[in-house]
Amino acid sequence: MVIAGLGVIAMLSEIFSFKKLLYPLVLLGLLAAAVLAGLDWNHDTRIPLFGNMIMFDNFSAAFTIVLSFTGFLWFIMARDSFNEESSLTDHYALALFSLAGAVVMVSFGNMTMLFLGIEILSIPLYVLAGSRKTDVHSNEAAFKYFLMGAFASGFLLFGIALVYGATGSFDIPKISLYVAEHATNLPGFFYAGVLMMLAGMAFKVSAVPFHFWAPDVYQGSPTTITAFMATIVKTAAFAALFRLFSNCFIPAATTWSGVVWTLAALTLLTGNITAVYQQSAKRMLAYSSIAHAGYMMLAILAMNKFSATAVLYYTASYSVSTIVSFTVLQLVAAHKGSDLLESFNGLAKKNSFVAVVMTIAILSLAGIPVTAGFFAKYYIFTSAIDSGFTALVIIAVIASLIGVYYYFMIIINMFFKESTDDSPFVIGAAHRFLLIVCTLLILALGLFPDIILRFWI
Amino acid sequence: MSSIQVIPVHMYVLLSAVLFSIGVMGVIFRRNAIIVFMCVELMLNAVNLLLVAFSSYLSDGAGQVFVFFIMAVAAAEVAVGLAILSMVYRNTKSVDIDTLSKLKE
Amino acid sequence: MKDLVGLIPLLPLLGWFITGLFGKKLSRTAAGLIACSTVLGSFAISLGLFFEVEHLETHRFTVDFFSWISAGTLQVPFSFLIDPLSCLFLLIITGIGFLIHVYSFGYMHDDDGFARFFSYLNLFVFFMLLLVLGSNYLIMFVGWEGVGLCSYLLIGFWFKNTAYNKAANKAFIMNRIGDLGFLLGIILIFLTFDGNIGYAEVFDKAKYMSSGDGTITAITLLLFIGAMGKSAQIPLYTWLPDAMAGPTPVSALIHAATMVTAGIYMVARSNILYALSPVAMEVVAITGIVTALFAASIGLLQNDIKKVLAYSTVSQLGYMFLGLGVGAFTGAVFHVMTHAFFKALLFLGAGSVIHAMSGEQDIRKMGGLKKALPITYMTFLIGTLAIAGFPLFSGFFSKDEILAHAFDHNKVLWFLGMLGAVMTTFYMFRLFFVTFWGKFNGTKEQQYHLHESPKSMTIPLMVLAVLSLVGGFVGLPEIIGTHRLEEFLAPVFADSKMKLFHAPLSHDTEWTLLITASIVCVVVIAFAYQYFVVKGRRPAEEGEEISPLAKTVSNKYYIDELYEALFTKPLNWLSDKFYKIFELQVVDGIVNETGKLVNTLSGVLRLLQTGRIGFYLFAMVLSIILILFVTTF
Repeated sequence: MVIAGLGVIAMLSEIFSFKKLLYPLVLLGLLAAAVLAGLDWNHDTRIPLFGNMIMFDNFSAAFTIVLSFTGFLWFIMARDSFNEESSLTDHYALALFSLAGAVVMVSFGNMTMLFLGIEILSIPLYVLAGSRKTDVHSNEAAFKYFLMGAFASGFLLFGIALVYGATGSFDIPKISLYVAEHATNLPGFFYAGVLMMLAGMAFKVSAVPFHFWAPDVYQGSPTTITAFMATIVKTAAFAALFRLFSNCFIPAATTWSGVVWTLAALTLLTGNITAVYQQSAKRMLAYSSIAHAGYMMLAILAMNKFSATAVLYYTASYSVSTIVSFTVLQLVAAHKGSDLLESFNGLAKKNSFVAVVMTIAILSLAGIPVTAGFFAKYYIFTSAIDSGFTALVIIAVIASLIGVYYYFMIIINMFFKESTDDSPFVIGAAHRFLLIVCTLLILALGLFPDIILRFWI
Repeated sequence: MSSIQVIPVHMYVLLSAVLFSIGVMGVIFRRNAIIVFMCVELMLNAVNLLLVAFSSYLSDGAGQVFVFFIMAVAAAEVAVGLAILSMVYRNTKSVDIDTLSKLKE
Repeated sequence: MKDLVGLIPLLPLLGWFITGLFGKKLSRTAAGLIACSTVLGSFAISLGLFFEVEHLETHRFTVDFFSWISAGTLQVPFSFLIDPLSCLFLLIITGIGFLIHVYSFGYMHDDDGFARFFSYLNLFVFFMLLLVLGSNYLIMFVGWEGVGLCSYLLIGFWFKNTAYNKAANKAFIMNRIGDLGFLLGIILIFLTFDGNIGYAEVFDKAKYMSSGDGTITAITLLLFIGAMGKSAQIPLYTWLPDAMAGPTPVSALIHAATMVTAGIYMVARSNILYALSPVAMEVVAITGIVTALFAASIGLLQNDIKKVLAYSTVSQLGYMFLGLGVGAFTGAVFHVMTHAFFKALLFLGAGSVIHAMSGEQDIRKMGGLKKALPITYMTFLIGTLAIAGFPLFSGFFSKDEILAHAFDHNKVLWFLGMLGAVMTTFYMFRLFFVTFWGKFNGTKEQQYHLHESPKSMTIPLMVLAVLSLVGGFVGLPEIIGTHRLEEFLAPVFADSKMKLFHAPLSHDTEWTLLITASIVCVVVIAFAYQYFVVKGRRPAEEGEEISPLAKTVSNKYYIDELYEALFTKPLNWLSDKFYKIFELQVVDGIVNETGKLVNTLSGVLRLLQTGRIGFYLFAMVLSIILILFVTTF
């Protein structure tokens, strides 16, 4: 239902060219999608759609809400940058299609839909990444993203094919049943298939060593698109990865848990350590986004009864904080003409509202208490400890301490350094609204995590 | 027993693995972007071959349906890819993938 | 009163909200009044609680607000625990906090960021209250991080240059190391006590455990690493002297009276766990005494008025840990209280001096200030006497209690403790005499501007002076009167007391210790008087030979020579070496190296990102092959 709604909105946006009407329509549509997903809540049974191709259960509903709401926030953020472009409606449509792909990814019931979801998500993004047609950096980002994305899809498909060969089905429940029944005598290429699917998905979530595309693409793409990749794509990819492994491959855990362990540790350390050196705030946020993938992989690894909650909470808090940080980055970069860390100098003096909001978002990304990010990490860590991955949690804690170091560089620049010019820093009403909503969300998620989670579950 | 099944299934797995690897090698080592795209296609076709073989052995039509999906998506993907490439070419006058290494470190 | 518990932290939070959000629109007076009155309100409620808890049957109660986190086996309620220990800390935080708020009213009056300053201060008070009120380790951790953040913001309040970055980073890394220990400690508690991190559940279980358990030792040591960071113990202490860059009221509130005692609070709160681990107790005691001696020796040679007080804070915190380590939990908490009185007084007094000297902090540029600043002078004298442990002043009783327990535990610890006390007395009176006696050494302009501080600053000084004077009488030793504080805190420490039971010192020994301490104190003061006032010695100027052992001094000064040769000279040398080698090179070196290592690694890893697609793809394929290869075997 929800997906159909989204699809229709996307179609509408393409056909109509009422530019003025379109924007409110998109916003309302996304809110409606979130509400509709909320209405599907608490049907104890799963809702199968299109002959089991899609299974809309509580997991999907929760993530659909997160995705639609993030999409809603993202559209507010992207408003101005869209207006600068010539082909406005095309961009709306592409972003909405991509979002529809994300929703498919969190509710697939069949490998076919997983594959299609990923492609529906990715193909519009390849175009969006290159939407600054004359900018070589944007070109390069699009090309890299496309080529490596297609390459990774190849691995994913090869993995799917092998798993199909071993189990005789694309249907998730059937595969799960088959794997559980024949846990001991699966052919060797089944495990190879699982690992190749893992590699393909690891690319999408930008886990080390499949992360190489991320910093370059994040930096080269227009900031709004980067924000889209960092929030919606990452949320959808993690939800899909979690759904896939929790539903299908738990019996084969001995094969992949060691691999995921290593990937998570590498991701945590590489992401956080490399971020320290960066001069460009945008690139730093890219590395930080890689590092956050590492934390979320802990939940995949833990795979116990509250891992799903942990991933949900993490993606929600991470998305909101990231939207804020990219919005501020976009504003600062537009103001100063560069996205270097120095551009943040003296922001607190110029516009204390933006500086405070940015500080809260960054504290949340760094995982300092009273913000959403702290509990996000906390849930992930307890979930991992409960499953006995204490050593990895220690690595994660150390990595997050390194993380705090570079996040604080931005805060130091904003509060304790002087700006080189005195031009006033103003923001529009829409962005102000967006920042206030996000900040309230971050604090609410941080202060009353349990109340919010209980409301959700 | 259909004619496909004359050859044992692991031979198909082997064949498509080899085809896939050739595609991978091509992607890694060729520098002309168009040839790289073709190698990606080769990888996808290796997958298609594998799916068809499995489908036949398992007497299950789903595998062949999946192949159609892959073909459709691959077509869309290549369309987008070539569009990006032509955009790149307009700006850099080159289809060498190594010219695109401005974004780094 | 129970219903009002929630208001205690909420009021300062409200104050933060108002002063922070509408700071620019409010007048200075309004912003200041709001900030002060919220803390005063919290103080009033705390006072009510204080009297209520004493008369309760159980001496404690918990106030539940809402279920905070529930994830599987982990249930963490958001609730506050009110017992004698938290009550006492509440009173210290809100009481002293209020006085310092009032003081800041005068001190910060001409500052541009007046409202901002008060909003940070209120936020700090909020987090500090959260830290002591929480009924489980997680809330404590939230407060712990919060106060760290506020202190970070407040240290940098004035600093606009790059030197701040270095100091702040140092503070940051050290506190992070501490936090890491604390967090791992909490995780270990969570694992050991079947998923509980509430005080009530953990301590109830711990009561029945036997002493010497390895896991408990690990937990307590990890928690102690956290305490070392926050309470500036060796080797994580050098951030505290650097933190003096902040405004003086901040140093008084955060870096003397409250935040730095959070470590003491944590250990005292977990007393039963420490009682189970003799090894951890020993580590705490030794770290404490080494820090106490070490910081005191550095304090002997510092010339910046706030730096002297900073090192003295580190040293006094060392005493508190010594007290905790030898089982004098009450004594340590008692010392926290008296130290809060006199150290806040000394810092505020120093602030008043700096205020009068138009920002000058070097004591060599001061002198003879007693005429110009009579109130500051008198109150500072009281503070100095209190910290020196002059008989009947507050520091006398609390320090004596710690030292008496140390004596009981190990005579060497007592002796070292006395040595530290001697140094403390000496450097405090050095500071005192050089600043207030003798003749003025500053510029003409400074002399012209000399003035006593406004009422809003002197009244808090007087209140604190009275407290430093009589504060000790709540904890008289058994031989003189009743130890009211011990009776009050007894329920908190009852269980560990059973575990650590040993016979009290005989009255004779106790008298001997008391009298020895008094005599030593008086003698050292006399020495200092002789040295700095009668002979008019001043601390060496920059570049001057540090110890100008006067060759011309005749035999008449035989005692001075002896004193210099036996005492001053080696200590000066040690003090200098400790500062230059241990602090500047070893400790800072390690901290800087850690930072450098991360930076270097970052620089190397960054190079992996070559920008070439071919390499990226190759790396991916290689990884997949590796994964397939490794999992096959």
